[in-house]
Amino acid sequence: MSIVALSLLLIAILLLILASGIWIALGLAAIGLVAMAVTVSTPPGPALAASMWQASNSWDLTALPMFILMGEILYRTKLSEDMFEALAPWMQRLPGRLLHVNVVGCGIFAAVSGSSAATCATIGRISLPELRQRGYDQSMAIGTLAGSGTLGLLIPPSIIMIVYATATDQSIARLFIAGVMPGIMLIVLFMGYIALWALINKERMPPAEPSVPLKQRIAASRRLIPVTLLIAGVIGSIYGGLASATEAAVVGVALSIVLSWGTGTLTRDNFRDALLGATRTSCMIAFILAGAAFLTTAMGFTGIPRNLAEWISRLGLTQWQLLTALTAFYIVLGCFLDGISMVVLTTSIIIPLVEKAGFDLIWFGIYVVLVVEMAQITPPVGFNLYVLQSLTGRNIFAIARDTIPFFVLMCVAVALIAAFPGIALWLPSTMLDR
Amino acid sequence: MFALRGSRSANDPPAMRAGLDKLYAAALWLSAACLVAIALLIGAQLFGRLIDESLKLIGIEPFGIVILSLAEFSGSLLAAASFLALAGTLKAGAHIRITMLLQALPPRGRYALELWAFGASALLSAYIAWQLTHFAFVSFQFDEVSPGVVRFPLAVPQAAMALGAIILTIALIDEFVLVLRGREPSFRKSEDAITLGKAE
Repeated sequence: MSIVALSLLLIAILLLILASGIWIALGLAAIGLVAMAVTVSTPPGPALAASMWQASNSWDLTALPMFILMGEILYRTKLSEDMFEALAPWMQRLPGRLLHVNVVGCGIFAAVSGSSAATCATIGRISLPELRQRGYDQSMAIGTLAGSGTLGLLIPPSIIMIVYATATDQSIARLFIAGVMPGIMLIVLFMGYIALWALINKERMPPAEPSVPLKQRIAASRRLIPVTLLIAGVIGSIYGGLASATEAAVVGVALSIVLSWGTGTLTRDNFRDALLGATRTSCMIAFILAGAAFLTTAMGFTGIPRNLAEWISRLGLTQWQLLTALTAFYIVLGCFLDGISMVVLTTSIIIPLVEKAGFDLIWFGIYVVLVVEMAQITPPVGFNLYVLQSLTGRNIFAIARDTIPFFVLMCVAVALIAAFPGIALWLPSTMLDR
Repeated sequence: MFALRGSRSANDPPAMRAGLDKLYAAALWLSAACLVAIALLIGAQLFGRLIDESLKLIGIEPFGIVILSLAEFSGSLLAAASFLALAGTLKAGAHIRITMLLQALPPRGRYALELWAFGASALLSAYIAWQLTHFAFVSFQFDEVSPGVVRFPLAVPQAAMALGAIILTIALIDEFVLVLRGREPSFRKSEDAITLGKAE
């Protein structure tokens, strides 16, 4: 069978399997089985078992359940209430006022949580009712929340970065640190847009509230000290080379237990739910990684990724053309697939191509995270949209319309990191190596 | 977020239903215990390093506390944890799949497609379970041990993986039979909650 016919066959089977409701991890393994069955005479079984074992038995991957557990514990604390109370008085002076709480709140929570849906849900369940009660524009409140919820993926710790790093053999720690500046850049873009929008649409903003005296503002900010220490402890120890990503995650779990205990939310039920929730989420992701690992092995046998890379390089595309094409491809893919599946499916096929085109794999990781962020807010499949639907009861297509400006801003962010790769790569280059 | 509760059905022999649910729950708890063990091991290592560093600061010879083969132990525990939780994760509706088509279909179509999804997944899972069992058995036969200072037989975590895949196969067959008898998959609610935002 020619390589083109084989690729088309595999794509058709992939679509059929995934659309028919077979679980993604099992589906990936199934495609791998088909690919090996039609290309090589060796039985696929031993390769399947060996790649699943190798992908699952990984020291680096232990960071995954630990960071998920940390997020699960913090999700059950009063962090979101504290965040709103502490941030709101400071944001009153900016044009756009409390809308900025969504962005900054998500930015801070993103630095302790690795998931965008959790970030969105944690901040949203406090800020949305507060903003509605104070008469803020609903579509703006929802749009800012959906957009900045995606920061959970870009600002370390990040589940999707762990997935990308393990799938492509990159350093989790470097990838984490590479996400910091692009994350801050995205926060600035979002806040700038909110300020601009508020200046243009003065009539849609509620009347200003009396400003809170400085002393009270500082007093309220004290409630952010524990979470600030937590962030500094986790990200600081990775950046400073004091701890590997896994060790930092365990420190994070310990500190979040202390924080939860200190605020009186560490009940037996809460802890059990957090632990079992983390066990399930990490199982779900690890199983997909195991299926994807076998798919990658099988793809190696077919020679598709190598041929694709050669074909693309023969086309003689510039990096810009290639990136534009890839971004369009990812945006379409993101409408139907969740972020983790997008990453594991594409890394097994695209990475040789990406390397051949001369992209840095850490930089490409940040790029992939950004496009996966966009996927979180594109209907019909977008996890942040689901979260907001359950918080507001509105239709996901209506929510998606509110998020369009933020989608556009993320496209701008992609263009910016493509034009200035240093935004992502400078900070990791200053890291102290272990 | 979503509590694990067994499915109840009047058609089931109660003892078998209860037994299966206990099996899934036990495997899930064992998996959680593996994760706690990883956290404690790494925590102990960090604590040891902290003591050593502080001893160095006050000018005393450090003990040189290390947990031997920490990376190998943690990796193996993780592999066991990831697979042992498979069935419990399935029952809680936390494994992801694309449900767009399923939800668009009328009830009869959905019934047929659910049967296909469970049947095909059960076959795939059975194949994986068989291969992992074989894999663990081969490394048992050849006495394969972990690299590093403390050597332990790799067949142990590999057998745990195989066991997890076997339990997942049982859970998928369990769901297949339930759906065949005209029941909804036991995690339909939480799955819809995740993918459709129908959470409370």
